[in-house]
Amino acid sequence: MFTKRTETLRQRQDRRFINKETQTAAKYLRRMKELSGAPEGIEPFYNTLERIYVDMDYVKSGAYRHTIGTYCVMTPPELIYAAGAMPVKLCSGNYTAFSIGDDIAPRDACPLVKAVAGFKQTGLMPVYEDCSMMIVPITCDCKKKIAGMLSDRCEVMTLHIPATRNDDDIEEFTRQLYELMERLENITGNRITYESLSDAFRIVGYAQYELSEFIRLKKQMPYLIRGSHAMAILNAASYMTAGEWGRALHSVNETLKKRIAEKKTVTSKKLPRILLTGSPIVFPNIKIPLLIEENGGIVAGDETCMGERGMWDPAVITDNSFDGMINALANRALRPCPCPTFADNSQRIYRIKQLIKENQIQGVIYHVLRGCLVYDFEYKRIEDELGKLGIPVIRLESDYNEEDIEQLRIRIEAFIELIKLRQEPEKNKAVRKNF
Amino acid sequence: MAKYYIGLDGGSTYLKAALIGNGRVIDTMVRNTGIDNDGTARKIANELCIRNSLKPSDIGYIMATGYSRKVLEVADDDISEITAHAYGVRLTAPKEYRPGMIIDIGGQDSKIIYLDGNYGVKNFSMNDKCAAGTGKFMEVIAQILETTIDNVGTLSLQAKNPCDINSTCVVFAQSEVISLVARKYDRCDILAGMHQSMAKRIIKMMKKSEKGGDILMTGGGALNIGLHRAFEEELMRDVYVARYPQFNGAIGVALIASERG
Repeated sequence: MFTKRTETLRQRQDRRFINKETQTAAKYLRRMKELSGAPEGIEPFYNTLERIYVDMDYVKSGAYRHTIGTYCVMTPPELIYAAGAMPVKLCSGNYTAFSIGDDIAPRDACPLVKAVAGFKQTGLMPVYEDCSMMIVPITCDCKKKIAGMLSDRCEVMTLHIPATRNDDDIEEFTRQLYELMERLENITGNRITYESLSDAFRIVGYAQYELSEFIRLKKQMPYLIRGSHAMAILNAASYMTAGEWGRALHSVNETLKKRIAEKKTVTSKKLPRILLTGSPIVFPNIKIPLLIEENGGIVAGDETCMGERGMWDPAVITDNSFDGMINALANRALRPCPCPTFADNSQRIYRIKQLIKENQIQGVIYHVLRGCLVYDFEYKRIEDELGKLGIPVIRLESDYNEEDIEQLRIRIEAFIELIKLRQEPEKNKAVRKNF
Repeated sequence: MAKYYIGLDGGSTYLKAALIGNGRVIDTMVRNTGIDNDGTARKIANELCIRNSLKPSDIGYIMATGYSRKVLEVADDDISEITAHAYGVRLTAPKEYRPGMIIDIGGQDSKIIYLDGNYGVKNFSMNDKCAAGTGKFMEVIAQILETTIDNVGTLSLQAKNPCDINSTCVVFAQSEVISLVARKYDRCDILAGMHQSMAKRIIKMMKKSEKGGDILMTGGGALNIGLHRAFEEELMRDVYVARYPQFNGAIGVALIASERG
């Protein structure tokens, strides 16, 4: 006997996809909430992640009528706000979408791009479907090809990212930003004026100010916040307007300041302080920071592009004209960026060394997503440089699935033990009476 | 004042214990893990003390490692196998060994640990998903060839023309060996082929970039002279064998314990 089917095949597949997707997201949210020491005021960020991935709802764009999908840190959010639209970062960490994308993209493509391809294929994810346009900076071959795939289903603009950052490159990038401006104007029907662009600088600037305050508080010793919780806050920025996110972050910052005043910390134990760098870590693929903190370490530094690096650099306007502002955006997008897409990326090494010093880092975990060649390439040089400083570093390769969790766990555990064993052990004085 | 330390290594098949004092290995003991891990551990600690005329108060600290380390409540703390093995070789490696690489062949997993000049862990690779290249593999093949795991090493040294065993999976290798037996191949040749195939399998896990220092074998697999030879032949290098190879993990945790108590 066959069960009577009321849904079509497509409907059943969609339902299964939604079930699986929401369950995974809910599971990782729960694991994050189970970690002790989350600051008061973190709820809006949890709620945003829950809304997007568990409820599969649209972003709350407020007064902005359009949403524009973006990838990578080179897309200037200021231009999008100036056109009266809201930027939504679409880089994905989704395991369920990855399993769909795995059949579309070649085997050696990176899981992040496969997950994006998977979401677009199913057509079920509101944040993707709602976008009026997607802006794809071409930071690697996978991003280049995904831009082509996405253009079958929605309007796409690619941003060419040069290999070097000379004046000529900045000039060319500025030209592209003008083209982007025009396309944004056509889609939204709003003109980008001197006033609207200045306003956009202020909106984004406010969020950046709160972020710099957050980062300053985060590196305090002893720790006021766990890295996994900070990761949730920074990841949620993708799906919130800069104003809303900045205001929510402000209240987290207030909590952290209160913790300083009350001398309250996440834990009284001396946890090994770990810097996380390498390929992007996108919710719900937060298994690595979670494993670090569930196994007795603390993510005290974060040099990933969906984390602290994302909005780290404010645009600096040296010339107060409209051209000056666009130029400032182009400069900000390329010059300070430690993305391995650039041929010479010694500033990433400076940045990592700076983080090690300021955040008193004891070990570095270098995350490589399978197939993420540019990050994998830079591992060797960073390992050599950190070796000179006597900082242990471990390369962790992972994919968007849960099969490698036990292997990752044992590697992370051994790495944390290695750091602990370098410290002076606490002596045990109790006398044993029996076994 | 307490000056003795116990290390417990709760493996998949056996529970190993080591007693150290004054930076030397004093005694070792092994028991079947059984179903009551913690009970076996308590018994073994007690027996070690009685055999060496010690009182429980003489034991400064107890440390555990291995699969069942989290349930060994008799231990004061626990640490992963990787760290334990890296520590163990400080006491078990021969004098001339320059720290470089450890090949550990256990009952159900095998791992390679890379050390820096001070015996610190630099990196490691592990095979814990399948039984290829582990003690279990040897056990299965020994059974087909009507011998025991203690004899496979010496038997294989008598081989004249080692057979090829190409399957990496234990189950497929088993059927491959059965067909070799049916074709009347010599048992010693088959065993030599098995060792070669295991060595090749484990060498594949090694990183080509990690070349400094010497290679040391630990774990129960290191007791097998045939496998030891196979590694030397395949790697075309000298391979050292640790003293008390089976107890390397237990000795390592006992040594860590000595820094704590």
